[in-house]
Amino acid sequence: MLEPHWILLIMLGVFVVCAMLLKVPTGLSLIAASMVGALAGGEGLPLRHLVEGAFTYIDPILIIASAMVFMASLEQSGALGSISRGLLVHLHSRPALLVVGLTVFIMFPGMITGQSTATVLTTGAIAAPVLSACGIPRPKVAAIIAMSAIYGMIAPPISLPTMIMGSGVDMPFTGFDIPLLIATMPLAIGVNLGLARRYLKNIDMEAVLGDLDENHATRHGWRLYLPIVLVALLLIGIRLVPFLAANLGIALVFLIGAAVGTRTGRRFNLFSAARRSIRQALPVMGILVGVGTFIQVMTLVGIRGMLVVTALGLPSLWKYAGVAVMMPLFGAVSAYGSASVLGVPFLLSFLGQDEIVVGSALSLFAGLGDLMPPTALAGMFAAQIVGEPNYFRVLKHTAVPAVITALWAIGMIILANPLAKIIPG
Amino acid sequence: MSIDRHRPLSIGISLLITAVLVVLSARSFQVQHRDEVLYPSDGLTRAFPLSEVNPHLAGTAGDTEVYVYEGSAPGGSVLVLGGTHPSEIAGYMAPVLMIETLHVEAGRVFIIPRANASAATHNEPQEAHPQHIVIETAGGSRSFRFGARFTNPVHQWPDPEVYVQPISGTTLAGVEIRNLNRAFPGIADGNLTERVAWAITELIRRESIDVSFDIHESSPEYPVINAIVASEVSQEIASFATISLQLDGWEFSLEPSPPNFHGLSHREWTDHTDTQPILLETANPAMGRLRGPTNAELAVLGQDDQYVKAAAIGAINVPFDEEGISIERRIARDLVAIGAIVEAFNMLNPERAILMGGWPEPAALMEDGLGRYLAPARDGTSPR
Ligand SMILES: [Zn+2]
Repeated sequence: MLEPHWILLIMLGVFVVCAMLLKVPTGLSLIAASMVGALAGGEGLPLRHLVEGAFTYIDPILIIASAMVFMASLEQSGALGSISRGLLVHLHSRPALLVVGLTVFIMFPGMITGQSTATVLTTGAIAAPVLSACGIPRPKVAAIIAMSAIYGMIAPPISLPTMIMGSGVDMPFTGFDIPLLIATMPLAIGVNLGLARRYLKNIDMEAVLGDLDENHATRHGWRLYLPIVLVALLLIGIRLVPFLAANLGIALVFLIGAAVGTRTGRRFNLFSAARRSIRQALPVMGILVGVGTFIQVMTLVGIRGMLVVTALGLPSLWKYAGVAVMMPLFGAVSAYGSASVLGVPFLLSFLGQDEIVVGSALSLFAGLGDLMPPTALAGMFAAQIVGEPNYFRVLKHTAVPAVITALWAIGMIILANPLAKIIPG
Repeated sequence: MSIDRHRPLSIGISLLITAVLVVLSARSFQVQHRDEVLYPSDGLTRAFPLSEVNPHLAGTAGDTEVYVYEGSAPGGSVLVLGGTHPSEIAGYMAPVLMIETLHVEAGRVFIIPRANASAATHNEPQEAHPQHIVIETAGGSRSFRFGARFTNPVHQWPDPEVYVQPISGTTLAGVEIRNLNRAFPGIADGNLTERVAWAITELIRRESIDVSFDIHESSPEYPVINAIVASEVSQEIASFATISLQLDGWEFSLEPSPPNFHGLSHREWTDHTDTQPILLETANPAMGRLRGPTNAELAVLGQDDQYVKAAAIGAINVPFDEEGISIERRIARDLVAIGAIVEAFNMLNPERAILMGGWPEPAALMEDGLGRYLAPARDGTSPR
């Protein structure tokens, strides 16, 4: 049987040939690579492993699909355009404040759900036209949204990557609020002001308002926003009174919101809107299926272990470089996968440094995975909502913020113990 | 365009391929829902479903068998829980070996080998674990399911994004809502995992169990391994046992049950029952993130090149060499620990002494292999 690193090379080779040369869809290319990998590993064609792996991300897939339908509903009912218009009218004279306010606004769903994709697709989609109206070019708008969504996913009170790492070392999710705020808020505000800095002049309202959707709020009143209020209540309600509110699941909450949206504003056909949005999301959902089988086969034939042992074996200074490169790379498949597969052993390997601060910092690296091709979930969906066909043009603008984020996280790991001392509680 | 003309055909072919894949793979998933047959020793005095303790479990995938061994003389009582996490295979096989060999002279022994029966019916995606291990016995090979850490989502779904523990209010990752060892003391009519947890806690209360064991395994890189975990009420028997085990040449560390980590068996049994709880933990490379190729041989033989490398660079907490940590060695550790702790209990409570035995000596088990001591498969084949 082949050594794991040879199998990895073969799998990557098959993926590149399928995806780049033969133009096979990314998801199917990943599955083809998994099948060849299993063969090379002497496992034959392990149908059960391929199917089991394919189902790994069934929950995120359902959430992405339902969030897309919800956003289509908000857009069709006129709610989206009206919110953008309202934000602009009220904040156009203070563009810096507008950017800071929008950053926190975009982050919010990520902070309460721990999901970056749902964040891009909800508040990200609302903020996009506002940022465009400030004169910021589309790829940069998408970059701002993608970065905010990633920081939102990691920011407290709910940080799924951090919680997943905590589960791996049996550490309850308490005391993380301030370290996670330190890990995310300064970066979020700094990075976004940096990306928007050249456009923070006064906005010519006359020119801008003409480009926006008409104001449906005047015709439909507060009812227009009912779906958003309902979804927020259902998502937050579960958090506040977990024993009273039934756990509907995020996907169902979004679908309820989408259905309500058909009656609260401009009328539209929900079925055809849903069909359009699912078709848009299909490639990404396919990639998640492919990624699931890819990792399952990597584990099966021993590639996963080889990668982890290699990472842990790096000498101490190189270990920081190893974390900074390997965690985002692995996060290409999923930030959660990266937190679980590499985050946990790295967290254990930084023994002696405050594990809450280190765990918070490692979450940043895992989050950066959402910018890594081929999936680049945050970057890809952000490109989609601003109408930018080539998501690599978005990733160009997230490169510098990603490096700054990695340096910030390394700084937190190095200074973990002094930081832990000054953090109250 | 030609694409449109061929569309019905390509949709048809795609659906056909999908149907074939679904049918072929569904079979291997469905087999996992069948309990393998166990052959209790003739020391067994009765067996009953856990739903007798909690009727809310009746007819659910969480219902599971409780095996009871009663001595002719009176004495104290012991509970042995296996399969709290069915991916920790020695934690399942140690109670199975007890069920098939046990004899009790004084006192009562309760054994639940598949504590989370639902979790035994599937595997965790991405882990690429084997669906079962195979053990050769005199009557042929017997296979035992290698399950998952969490309750099967087919039986309990969807997870919240965050699991807020009902009693302590502690927040954990959402998937932990399906982790039996975060669900204690449980809720009688709660979700499936909580119902199972409540039934076990209630069994301990109802039968006034003196000592309760919960058997686990964890990855070699995990900080708490080769350990006996005891709470404040079981500290005394655990210390006596650890010392006597160390005198016999067994490496065990004694770990205190964290006072604020709720939902764990030893924590909540301490707070909600009068039992003395003990958690046992052995190191299993099939569970670790550093492991090489993942298969049934790894789970049984416990040999792994990546862990040998990791031990050489100091990345793990247990010694690990080419010999590995076989399932026999892991089961032997559990059984000597159970023996030593019950002995310590007997010494401190002679009027309630529990006298039991029948399982193989550790050296013999490691020498002859597990299949020599399990009951032979009755029909010459695997019972499934
Ligand atoms: Zn366990």
